[in-house]
Parts: sequence; C-alpha cells; structure tokens
Amino acid sequence: MLKIKNLHCRVETQDGEEKPILKGLSLEVPAGEVHAIMGPNGSGKSTLSYVLTGRDGYDVTDGEMVFCGEDLAELEPEERAAAGLYLSFQYPVEIPGVPTLTFLKEALNAQRTARGEEEMSAPEFMKFARAQAKQIGVSMDMLKRPVNVGFSGGEKKRMEILQAMILEPKFLILDETDSGLDIDALKTVAEGVNTLRAEDRGMLVITHYQRLLDHIKPDVVHIMADGRIIKSGGPELALELEADGYDKYLGEVA
Amino acid sequence: MGVISRTPAEQALIDLLDGAEDWRAAARQAVIEHGLPTKRAEAWKWSDLRRASQGIDQAGETRILLNGKPAPAAITLDADTALKIEADAGVSVGSLEIEIAAGASVTLNEVHTIAADAFPNIRLEISLGDGATLERVIRSDVPMDAVPVVRSRIRVGKNATYRQATLSFGSKLSRHETHITHAGEGAEVHLGGVYLLEEGRHADFTSTVTHSGPGGVTRQLVKGAAMAHAQGVFQGKFKVEQAAQQTDAQMTHRALMLDERAEIDAKPELEIYADDVQCAHGNALGAIDETALFYMRQRGLSEVKARAMLIESFLAEPIDIISDEALREEVSGLLRQRLGAIA
Repeated sequence: MLKIKNLHCRVETQDGEEKPILKGLSLEVPAGEVHAIMGPNGSGKSTLSYVLTGRDGYDVTDGEMVFCGEDLAELEPEERAAAGLYLSFQYPVEIPGVPTLTFLKEALNAQRTARGEEEMSAPEFMKFARAQAKQIGVSMDMLKRPVNVGFSGGEKKRMEILQAMILEPKFLILDETDSGLDIDALKTVAEGVNTLRAEDRGMLVITHYQRLLDHIKPDVVHIMADGRIIKSGGPELALELEADGYDKYLGEVA
Repeated sequence: MGVISRTPAEQALIDLLDGAEDWRAAARQAVIEHGLPTKRAEAWKWSDLRRASQGIDQAGETRILLNGKPAPAAITLDADTALKIEADAGVSVGSLEIEIAAGASVTLNEVHTIAADAFPNIRLEISLGDGATLERVIRSDVPMDAVPVVRSRIRVGKNATYRQATLSFGSKLSRHETHITHAGEGAEVHLGGVYLLEEGRHADFTSTVTHSGPGGVTRQLVKGAAMAHAQGVFQGKFKVEQAAQQTDAQMTHRALMLDERAEIDAKPELEIYADDVQCAHGNALGAIDETALFYMRQRGLSEVKARAMLIESFLAEPIDIISDEALREEVSGLLRQRLGAIA
C-alpha cells in the first residue's frame, strides 16, 4: 500500500540552510497492517510524517514514495489527502473562527470532488458526523466549536481520531513522537487506532515510547536512527528497546 | 502658503464649488489656499489625496438616495432605511444630514456605488437623540480607479447606541473618516471595520471618538488583510475630556499581511484629560499561519480554499457587531465572495 524506497530528504532550517534528515529510508506497509516506527530524538521521525504528506520545506532529494501506485512526490498535500493519506498531527492546530463541523464538511467534500465522487449533502453529513462522534464519545457541542480551540491535549487527540473516522482515509500516519502525552491521551490514541484498524487500511504509528505500543499491538516494529530504518521485527522488538534502550542500535549506525 | 500649481482635480473642485455656500464654500477656500491634502499633512501622511486624484479633471456628480429616492439636504429617520451613494466619473461633492429622533431605532444600510475615475467628497452629519439606536452598515466595493472620500460626523446623545460596521475593498485611495462626539451617560459606541485589499489597493480608516460626558462606552475593532503593494491605513484616536470620567474605551486594530510587499500603517492615539477612566489600544500585524494552512490542506482543502477560510475567520469578527441577521449574512457573503476570488 505504502512503499518507501531509499528516501532522502532535506529540511530547510530556520536560518535558511538545508539539512539532510532522511538518508536512504526504505519501508513497506501493506494494507491491513499497523507498523510502528521507534527511534531516538532527532532520528527524523517527524520529518518522515511531513515529507509523506507534502509539507513545504521538506524536499525529497532522492528515492521514492509510492502510495497505492501513485508517486507521492508529484502530488500537492490536498491531492495526497484525497488519495487517502491522513496525518494525525503531533500538535493538532487550532483554527479560531472555523467551526469543526464546517471544516470537516468542506474537507470531506473537497476530497470527494477531487476523487470524482458526489458531494455529501448537509443533512447527510450531519447524520454521519453525529454517528461517528457518538462512537468515540465526542459531543455535537464540541463539534460546533472552532477547530481545536481551547481543547485539552487529550481532547485534541480524540478530535484527530474523529476527523479520521469522518474522512475515512486509506492510510493513517500517527505522529505521536512527543513524550508529553498523558495517559488519557495515550489511551484515546490507542482506542482510535483499534477502532480504525481495517483490512483495507494501513497505519504507521510514529512514537518515541514503548508504552503506546502496549495498547496498539503493531504487526511490525521498525527502529529508525540517523534517517534510516536500521532494524525491523515483530512486537518483541519494542519490548527489547524498552529494556535495553537505543544504544546498541545506534552503535550499528556508526 | 502658496500652491505651486493646481492639479486638474483641484481646479475642477474650485470651479465646481464656485458660488457655493456653507461648508462647500469653506472647502473651496481650503483648496484654493492649501490645495488638496498631501502626505506632508499629518492626518493624510499615508493617504496622499492630491496625488491619487491628480488625473481626474472633469466635474462629475454625486447622488444620494434614500430608499431609492433622491435625498433632501436633511432628514429625520425613524425606520430602517437604504442609503445609496452614487458617484459618476469626475470630481463631485455630496452631503446629507440625518437625525435619529430620541428613542427611535433605525438600521441604515449604506452602499457606495462609485464609478471609475470618480472623486466624490461625501459629507454625512448624523445626530442621535437621547436613547436613540442607529446601526449603520457600510459597504464600499468600488473600482480601482475611484477615489472616494467619505467623512461622517456623528453626535451620540445620552443613553443612545451607535453601531457602525464598514466593509471596504479599497481602491487607488479610499478614505473612510468617522468622527464621533460621545455624550456618555449610558451612551455606547461600537465601531467595526474590515478591509480586504487586492494588489495595489488602498483603504484608510481614520476615526476620532471624543468622549464629552461621563460613563461612556466605546469599542472599536478594525481588522484588515492586504495583498502585495496594497496599503491599509488605520488612524484611530480616542479623546477623553475632563468631564468624561469613568469612560470605558477600547481600540483594536489587527492586520494580516498576505504578502511581504503589503504595507500596513497604523497610528492609534489616546488623549486623556480625565483621571478615572479605562482606555486601551492594541495594534498587531501578522501573516497567515503556515502550519494551519498545511493542516487544512492535509485534510483535503485546496490551498486557495484553506487560505480563504483562514482569512475569512480572521476578518469576520468586526462584522459580528451587526445585529440585523439578514444584513450580517449579506455582508459576510460579500466578503466570502471576494475572498473566493482573490485568495
């Protein structure tokens, strides 16, 4: 479903310099599987999520990323979204003045139009959104508020999952790099992942800590260091990391 | 001070007002003695009227219509009214005095329809009697080559409420002046302004609110967005006289630079002679939040649509002071339509 081959990426730093972050990353996630990427700070985990979704300033210099047969590098961020790629942000953005429902209805219909599908009518959308919100315990009241404005960290994570349930992407990237997730937010993310797990959907969970994986149970765990995947294995790899730390793998890089 | 040489617009204005009386005669005299204001005049330093109007050399006409009929020089209003200001190409003047009787409540729906190469000088004198309410909603959507100058003087009586919301898309030069005398003693003034400027356009919101009696409330919120080579000007002044104790006045101007080559000029001023007042002003400039833009695009919105939504959400707040729901929707709709076309 998602195939990344020998990906090299440069990132523009604040002082305008370009710095190589991804240095030949290869990875394949088939439909129906959940893969986790773990790695120390600075290994390029968040960069991977941004380069896959097409953020400005993240330039691919070599290699390829193919999603459902399409070369992602050729597509604008909104085209990648319409193709079915969804990023759950590490820090969901607040958008004052734009009600969440309006935002999601516009987004869903923009994606549908881009795919040549019919738009969803307002009453139809309301009914659908209400049903999805109920399933994950979000009130309609919250959906009427501006996107993420004034929400707690846990509420924001819950909204990211709900947005995915409404937009129904083919593939989710969850950027949970930060250690700041409290236990509730962690459980919310895990619950969401388990709800969204499906045979025709792939997922990539990016995290720094093993504890998230206790709740998610990935099919494959990859270890990333210095811009590359240096080891892949089953869920036991995460446990090993928890016990021994990253040091022995970092040694392999050098 | 002698004027070196008159511009065609100055000469046309002097000719137009030959033999005129009252304020027109005073205006004519001022043009003869000083010419039209240039950027050397403090109040016009970001809006060089002489320069912007110099290519306009003929006499034009301004028509002021109330509910579709030509307006008299002065009128008392007690019901909702549509005010239309129309100007043909050329130099022109127009004037209207409006009185809102004590206790009356009126919505004034004001639309400026100005032709290209028109330089209309409009003077409105509005007086709100004690306890009166006036909601004035102004839409200025004019061609690039128009140079409208609209100066309103508003007297707000005790316990009266004056709400004004202006939406301007600017032009080569658009000057929106509002000068309020605020009686205090239960009176409230709410001034909302929005400017959205396409490339090369200019809009100037200049206002003074003079609190002359105690306990007055003023809220002013002006928000704008400007594209490349556009210029947004905000000059706001609150004057609180010694008698105006317990005045509560807040002024805010916030602008979005849609391009590094946009220009925003702001001069907020407080002049306070009373010692027991709450007055504040704030002024902030910003750019579109690139992270928010990426977030919205990641959800599937096109860059154009995402940008338009972000700008609209930024600009919408001053329009919210319009209490007439249908009118508020109309004004938001106009803003949205223009955003869809330019973002």
